[in-house]
Amino acid sequence: MDHRRFVYLGIGGVIAIVLALTLTGLNDSLTYYLYPSEAVDQRAEFPDGERFRLAGIVVAGTVVEGDGSTSFAVTDGGADVPVVLNGPQPSLFAEDVPLLLEGAWSGDTFEADSALIRHDENYEVPEEGGAYPEG
Amino acid sequence: MKRVRILMAIAAAAMVVGLYLTLTSPTDRLQGEFTRIVNIHAPSMWVAFLAFGVTALASILWLVRKADRWDRIAEASVETGVLFTATGLFTGMVWGQAVWGRAWDWADPRMASTAVMFFVYIGYLALRRATPDPGMRARRSAILGAIAVVQVPLVYFSVNLFRSLHQTQSIRPDGATMPDEMVIALLVNFLAFTLLYVALTAARVEVAKAEEAKSSETVPAGDAVATPLLSEVKDV
Repeated sequence: MDHRRFVYLGIGGVIAIVLALTLTGLNDSLTYYLYPSEAVDQRAEFPDGERFRLAGIVVAGTVVEGDGSTSFAVTDGGADVPVVLNGPQPSLFAEDVPLLLEGAWSGDTFEADSALIRHDENYEVPEEGGAYPEG
Repeated sequence: MKRVRILMAIAAAAMVVGLYLTLTSPTDRLQGEFTRIVNIHAPSMWVAFLAFGVTALASILWLVRKADRWDRIAEASVETGVLFTATGLFTGMVWGQAVWGRAWDWADPRMASTAVMFFVYIGYLALRRATPDPGMRARRSAILGAIAVVQVPLVYFSVNLFRSLHQTQSIRPDGATMPDEMVIALLVNFLAFTLLYVALTAARVEVAKAEEAKSSETVPAGDAVATPLLSEVKDV
């Protein structure tokens, strides 16, 4: 076989991978996660049980520890969404911490089965020094 | 070889300073001790980007000049780059498990694009092993090395182009989003890892030279059983 064909196949393969990655990446930018105000706006597009991801900050004073679940609200400044987390809390879970939740609407409540801490690009030293207080 | 030893000594000294700053710099209020991982993670990925950039440049120079040294530099730089990509991925997963609560998420554009870049450059090394003829090996890998570099900006800007779990850059043209001590520790480590990259890549180039010298000695003896070179079967 002509070795040039092999080389062109290789080049085509790399270009295909890069293109596929860019296109699926674009798809993910639409579906990877929604902010609370978007989730409320697009409520009709996500019927109960339709899974999506929700990213928001835990509203201070809303955290209620239940039996094997935690309820709280998340916000993006525009809208607050009440959340029931049926699953383990991430180890750094606290008020005012940004979360990435996976789950679905159940009425007006977002029922999540997993929660990740969404750390942003800001690094801050605590005023007293030392690590974040144990929660 | 003496030059490589000097480069190694300089890199080792810089790594010691970098490690000292990593262990003594203040920590973030949310991440605690896990803050320190960034001083290995980010410089590792920077070196990977640098390495794949050097490979692309050396590959283009080989295509223009056809000189062996550019092929050796291209190969050496990919090996170093793959090593540091692995370091970056591993430290990222440790940090992710500790801070996010999950080591890996394929839906994240930064993680997925980095993994693909990692596999493509492992593919580059596989392509080299699969091509016995030196001239054809240099040509094929130069073409791949020159093209595969398009992934570098894609990986770097993935967090700006798409929504991601991975955070965006903390050191940016408009300033840093971390205290000065953390920025200094990070920048010293960027320098130390760069020096380590230079030393390791220079050492790998010496190994390639030694391998070539050895194989040119042994080729006549093994001719009867050696794989026929493709260039002898068909005109390149």
